[in-house]
This record gives sequence, C-alpha cells and structure tokens, in this order.
Amino acid sequence: MIFKLAWKNISSRPLSTGLSIVLLSSSIMVIVLATLTINQMKLKFNDNANKIDLVIGAKGSRLQLVLCNVFHIDYPTGNIFMEDVEFLTKHPFVRNAVPISLGDAYQQHRIIGTNKNFISEIYKATLEKGELFNKSSEVVIGSNVAKKLNLGNSFIGSHGVGESLHQHEDFKYLVVGVLKPTGEIIDELIITSLESIWNVHHDEYKKGSFDLKTPEEHDLHQSEDEAEHSSHKKEITALLVNYNSPRAKFSIPGIINKKNSLMSADPAIEIKQLIDLIQPAVNILYFLALFIFGLSLFSIIITLVNSMKDRKYEIVMMRVGGASVKIIFISVILEGLYIGFLGSIIGLVLGHSLMEIMASFINFKYHYKFSGFVFDQFEIVLILITILIGMIAAIFPAVVAYKFDIAKVLKNKI
Amino acid sequence: MDYFFGLKQKKLIQTKNISINYGSLILKFPEINLNSGDQLLIIGNSGSGKTSLLNILGGLISPNTGTVLLNDINLMSLSKNKVDNFRGKNIGFVFQTPHFIKSLTVNENLKLSQYLVSEINQSRINILLEKVGLYNLKDSNIQNLSEGEKQRISIIRALINQPSILLADEPTSALDDESCNNVIDILTNLSNENSATLIIVTHDKRLKEKFSNQIDLNDF
Repeated sequence: MIFKLAWKNISSRPLSTGLSIVLLSSSIMVIVLATLTINQMKLKFNDNANKIDLVIGAKGSRLQLVLCNVFHIDYPTGNIFMEDVEFLTKHPFVRNAVPISLGDAYQQHRIIGTNKNFISEIYKATLEKGELFNKSSEVVIGSNVAKKLNLGNSFIGSHGVGESLHQHEDFKYLVVGVLKPTGEIIDELIITSLESIWNVHHDEYKKGSFDLKTPEEHDLHQSEDEAEHSSHKKEITALLVNYNSPRAKFSIPGIINKKNSLMSADPAIEIKQLIDLIQPAVNILYFLALFIFGLSLFSIIITLVNSMKDRKYEIVMMRVGGASVKIIFISVILEGLYIGFLGSIIGLVLGHSLMEIMASFINFKYHYKFSGFVFDQFEIVLILITILIGMIAAIFPAVVAYKFDIAKVLKNKI
Repeated sequence: MDYFFGLKQKKLIQTKNISINYGSLILKFPEINLNSGDQLLIIGNSGSGKTSLLNILGGLISPNTGTVLLNDINLMSLSKNKVDNFRGKNIGFVFQTPHFIKSLTVNENLKLSQYLVSEINQSRINILLEKVGLYNLKDSNIQNLSEGEKQRISIIRALINQPSILLADEPTSALDDESCNNVIDILTNLSNENSATLIIVTHDKRLKEKFSNQIDLNDF
C-alpha cells in the first residue's frame, strides 16, 4: 500500500516528476555513452594494435601511418620501395614481415594487396569457404564484406581508399574465398595479392588516368610515377612487422628511422597517445554528466518539497488517521527511490540505444564495430548509486513532511 | 466493544481542569465526562476555543494544564509515536473541509486509512460505502466528488478502523441544509451502529435541536 501510495504520488504529477526524470536520465545517458565509447574504443584499438608490433611506411605522421595501415581508417602517408625494407623479412628478430599495398576500395571496403601471411599469421583468420587467392585479380573477403559479395562474384574496384567516382572498369576482381568472422578489422577487408594491385595501377598509369585523382590520391601515387620511370621498382604502402625477440623493439625502429625515406611506428604507443588525446574530451563529458546529475538532484529536491507543500493537508490527514512519522518519512523516501530508479533505467536504455545508433554510423563510416548491446558491471553500480542519490535527495522533503505541525496546519485551513 | 474498554461503569472520556494559553489569552474548558456510545454537541462562537478543545481531546495538541483520560489512559503521558498509534486505532476525525490523498481513488483512500493502523478489510469498506449511498463512486478519483459526498466519505474514513471515539469539527458548516441533515444523520447513525462516542464542535445553530446533550462554550 505504501509503495502504491508513493508511486501514485509521483505519477499523479507527471510534469514535475518528468522533469526530474528527464534530467536524471540525461546525465546517466551521457555517462553510459561516454563510458561505452571509450571502453569499446580502447578494447578494439588495443586488440588490433596488439596484432602488429611495428608498422613501417613513408615519412609523415606516425599516428596516420598506424591508423591507415593497422586500422584502415586514415589515408596512406605515401608509398615505399619494397627493396628498401626487404632485408627485414630475413632479419633474425623478425617473425613476420608482411607488405601491404593500398589504393582501391569496393563500397567502403578497402582492397589490400598483400601476401597470405596477412591472413594466416597476423590475424590468424581461417577460410569459411573457397580458397586463398593464387592469381592476380583473385580476392578473399572478410566476413562483413561477404554481406555484399559472395563466392564467385566479380566486381570492379574504385580508385582511392574512400569513395571515388573513378573505377577501374577494365580490371575485375573475382571472389575466391570468404573468411570466418574474427571480430577484427580483417572482417571488413578485401584481400588480394600485391600483384593484383600493381597490375591494376600499372594499366591505369598507361592510360593516363591520373588526371581524375584527388590531391591525396595523387600524393599517394606520386612515387608510383617515379617507380614507373625507374624500371619497375616495386612499391608498397607499408610493411607490417611482428617481432621474434623483445630485443627487436630497441634495434629495428632505430635502423628504419635512420633511412631517409622510411618511418616506423609502434601501434600500441600510437594508440595509447591517441587515447590520451581523447581522454580529456571524455573527461569533459563526464564533467558535463556530473553537472546535469547535480541539476537533477536539485530538481528532485525542489519537486518533492513543492509536492510536500501541496500535499500538506493530505500528509496531516494521514497523521490524524494514525500514520506515524516513520511511515510518512518512508513514503517520501520511496518517491525519491522511484524517481532514481526510473531515471537510471531510462538513462541506460537511452544511452545504449544512442550508442547503437552511433555504432551503425561509425560502422558505416569507419568499419569499426561498436555496439549498444554491450553491458558493463559499472551500470549496475550506476543504477544503485542513482537510486541511492534519489533517496538521499528525498531526505530533506521527507523531513519537511514529517515536521508538519498537525494542529497548526489544521488551524490555518479549518 | 465493551470488553475492550474493561468495566462498563468506567468513563470513556474524562477531562479535568484543562486550559490552553494563546499568549496572554487563557482558554479554560468545562469538564467532559462521557460513556461509551454517548453523543455530545459543543457549541461556541469562533475564538471560543472549540477546535482547540477537540484537538486536545484527539491528542493533536497538549493542554497547558489539566488531564485528559481516554479509557483511563492519560494521553499526555504517551510518546509522540504512541499518541499517533492510539489516535489511529481509537479516534476518528471529521473536519469542516475534508482532505484526501488526491492521487488515490475513494476506495484506495479508505484502504490506506485501514493500512495505516490495522489490516485492509474490503468488505467493511463496501458495507460503509453502501450505507452512505456512495458505493457507485468507489473507484472514482476523490477529486471528482462534491463537497457533500466528500464529507460522507470522510465520515466513513473516520469510522473505518472502528474507533471508540468520533470527533467532528464543524462537519456541516460548509454544507447546504439538505447535505447538512444528511451528514448529521449519517454521523449519528453510524456512530450508534459502531458504538462510538460522538463529539461534534460547531457554531452551526442548525444542529442545536438535534442533540439533547450539549455544552455551550459561550456560557462557560
């Protein structure tokens, strides 16, 4: 009965109760959103970053080098000559050195020219069906690309790593294999041999289609231009390296960075720096959430105190009817509990829904799988804290309620 | 009810020398001695202290002097919580303007009153609602009732926990003649049926001819 009373008391004042709940749930929503984003980002980034110990590419921004060649988000820094880095494939400290060449895409999925080690050694991916590529123009696709393409399909790649109007219409790729889902970035990629990439761009060069390129793409292929003239020096975008020995960490980057045309970047370090860069923004979000939380606390107190004043006679009548101050106190605290509970639940639902909406946007744009359906233990704590705060906010109104002097209230009115 | 109050010859309500001070104004009240089931009308002009007297009898305020014994229990000796509990179980109140929990229905309001001091007994609610002819409004929101209807519900509420004492403060002043008669009939009949002692304080002259047992505070 007392639960029902408290419930009816807040639900019969939808506007002021609603305001408190909206404020409370907004702050919870921001907290959930910020935490989910940063957590999932850290998880995904670290997962992918840990797959590769060192990225070697053309000079430019280290972060860009990592983002482009490990996460396949940013544009390439430029190309390097295969022969400049070939020595690493035989280096005793190196377990794996996988060249990759970027430049084309199909419907936002990047086409990566590389060798089979990219699949088997770096991402430890296995085939769902079909086989690995053997000839130029044959490709293996990641599980998410398989939503758009299937075994046996052929398609034309468009130039550039993003969207482009220009397509290599005379060069068709053929899907010969589909990979099992890994949860890694490889799910979003189309993998082919280096020769495929070299062939398609070789032909293109002959036709003089460089005119159609955007400036970035032009930069990307400037060195290709030179390559043609210096009689078929093979180019790649980057070399992905896995170490064999911990000592590699101290020797190999040094060797690379001494070379004029090369630069190396450690994905783990770059990602840590990136997250450190983002952290202040996340902290501002938390601060904002805390501020709204404070406002909602204030709103709950004001709502309930006003409610008590409006219900002065009701409360006094309950007292006259034998209700102890304890019952009155508890019923008001219950109102705070309900508001806290509703606010936190609505906030969680909003936070997760918004995350899911944002996730589909991020997935589309960056091929990064975020999800609104990931739950964390902190959310239970968040609910409990919010309920507790709701109850604490109700203490003052509850004291107001039980301090009403029955005789005085009755005298004023009756 | 008699067994509950022990021996029959004991007085249910006994007051002695009660007075209350409002600043320099001292209000003294006549002694009241009532048996179980008695009915008393206390008449007084405004300012004569009739509401104060009723509040003292109901344990809502304490007098500056004197004692109030309800069934030999001295209200002033009880703690605040115990007074609340005693009042809930033994005393019903009817006021000039009835107040209810606005967010609840008629039935829920009555159930709440039962819940606060004893157990919910739906059949008792139904019987009382039938008696005052408002059973059909059982599930209406309390705010949709007329003043006369609300006053009848407030009498039910006062009697819902079968109190031995029913205190009514100006129960008819806000009502027209028809509702006034109706409310007084219900008050007297229901307190008779529930063997509750009824005390009404009022300045409403219409009630004078309805009660044989009267105290006029203006004469005191």
